[in-house]
Amino acid sequence: MEMKRENIPGMGYGKKKIHVVRRYRNWQLIGLEGYAKKKRKAAEIHQALSSDPTDVAALRRMAISEGGLLTDDIRREVWPKLLNVNIHDLPPPPAKELREDSKDYQQVLLDVRRSLRRFPPGMPSEQREGLQEELIDIILYVLERNPQLHYYQGYHDIVVTFLLVVGERLATSLVEKLSTHHLRDFMDPTMDNTKHILNYLMPIIDQVNPELHDFMQSAEVGTIFALSWLITWFGHVLSDFRHVVRLYDFFLACHPLMPIYFAAVIVLHREQEVLDCECDMASVHHLLSQIPQDLPYEILISRAGDLFVQFPPSELAREVAQQQAERTAASTFKDFELASAQQRPDMVLRQRFRGFLQPEDRTKNILTKPRTNRFVKLAVMGLTVALGAAALAVVKSALEWAPKFQLQLFP
Amino acid sequence: MELESSLEASFTASGGGAGLLPTRSRIFKIIVIGDSNVGKTCLTYRFCAGRFPDRTEATIGVDFRERAVDIDGERIKIQLWDTAGQERFRKSMVQHYYRNVHAVVFVYDMTNMASFHSLPSWIEECKQHLLASDIPRILVGNKCDLRSAIQVPTDVAQKFADTHSMPLFETSAKNPNDNDHVEAIFMTLAHKLKSHKPLMLSQPPDNGIVLKPEPKPTMSCWC
Repeated sequence: MEMKRENIPGMGYGKKKIHVVRRYRNWQLIGLEGYAKKKRKAAEIHQALSSDPTDVAALRRMAISEGGLLTDDIRREVWPKLLNVNIHDLPPPPAKELREDSKDYQQVLLDVRRSLRRFPPGMPSEQREGLQEELIDIILYVLERNPQLHYYQGYHDIVVTFLLVVGERLATSLVEKLSTHHLRDFMDPTMDNTKHILNYLMPIIDQVNPELHDFMQSAEVGTIFALSWLITWFGHVLSDFRHVVRLYDFFLACHPLMPIYFAAVIVLHREQEVLDCECDMASVHHLLSQIPQDLPYEILISRAGDLFVQFPPSELAREVAQQQAERTAASTFKDFELASAQQRPDMVLRQRFRGFLQPEDRTKNILTKPRTNRFVKLAVMGLTVALGAAALAVVKSALEWAPKFQLQLFP
Repeated sequence: MELESSLEASFTASGGGAGLLPTRSRIFKIIVIGDSNVGKTCLTYRFCAGRFPDRTEATIGVDFRERAVDIDGERIKIQLWDTAGQERFRKSMVQHYYRNVHAVVFVYDMTNMASFHSLPSWIEECKQHLLASDIPRILVGNKCDLRSAIQVPTDVAQKFADTHSMPLFETSAKNPNDNDHVEAIFMTLAHKLKSHKPLMLSQPPDNGIVLKPEPKPTMSCWC
């Protein structure tokens, strides 16, 4: 309960008195050694921030490594650096006609009004309503300035996180940058690209745990259980705000596909529960879509990092493309499906496909690859995103995640 | 999270008797579709948990709720698949969940004419996804407790329902007095699915639930 207060965002940050209380609480909770470690990390972050030019690579490492960016005060300084946003050039306050002109206004309004759970419990309703208005403004502002972007339900869950941590004006800039980069694919006119990204989930699981993968395939569970995880960066499903911002530290410092690796890691973490389920779509979907609130986040984050290094998107792309092709093939098999309902054409096709890959090879990979230099390698990849951010969006949409492109940017 | 709490109970309850082989109960899979904010989540929650949820949020993708019921002495699991209302989700995401559904519930908001006008596109989409054409479908007008705000007159809705050979139910997931009514809607559907015979709506479900007369549930025959 005490800890919860510490991170109540948007409430009088920057006040010295609160700061002292926080420190004391932290000291109590994590012990002297942990406190010293945290203090050391905070010092390193400040050093990276004050070096000229800012040491963005170091900041990425800090955002990924244990504990992430530690406090909202630090996040306010580091998140703009991770997204390469100039805090001295923030957008003007929203114009009044913003709402009248927006085609998305009604949908945004409906979603924001219903998003009460995203605000700290105990926040006075007046304050919450003010923040909800700001939330609407930010969303409409970004959409208006970027007509190529389309609103999706769940986008508001991401924006609210930024609003609560950095306040309205800075949040507007950060969210705009994020929307044209990390979230770009979710904001297409259709969700085809989102679906495509979800298609990375099963191949990642297959690489690590073929048995679990096969079980889920037989259950025909699909991947929609992970949809809200992916497109809200888990903001929609985690009730503790501290966990949400910790994950945002991680995702902001990494490749845009990292959330799907993290989703895979959660499924893998719950292996036994899944295998104990009845092997049908409803049971498995239900189990997986109820995300446990006490996940070991730090462990899972480092595991997701490992997986990314071992099976980078470029390596998975071939398998994903193949899966895509199968889907198409499967849909042309509808008549066949009708005729032989018993036979499950997906299964038949899948088995055929499995013949192409040698399972031994796949599992050998993960066993023999060394687990070293994880943070270093991740940080380098993160740096590439920052440098090539504009290029990333353009090329990515042009080539639609072509493996070749992935290879160039994220070797 | 609280939203789904009722499910655990029903899962374990249907898990089988002590020491005996668990008897697999029949499952009826029902998909609930309609525009954003018409009350799909509240309706399914009302049926599965027996009350109106305190807070609901936009559904992203597909949510799932379940309840076990007894029909004519047979234990049956009713699975309700609650879908996202925003158009972009249904286009490429939701079709997977149309697979093997036994019935479809179309929902509109009686206080929102636009949600009623969207129904033809929902019906059309449903046709494209469903392989069998004789799957039972019902139409539910929600929020009938907001009397002063009603925009969709009952006769207009009834005419629409007749055109598409669907029974119409006007109800409220929120109004506590309508609890039995929401229950009756889904139970009626379950009876229909169990019997595989044309649904006789004049015949109340066997568990003693009587359709509430006020506000008048407008229902037509399935023909």
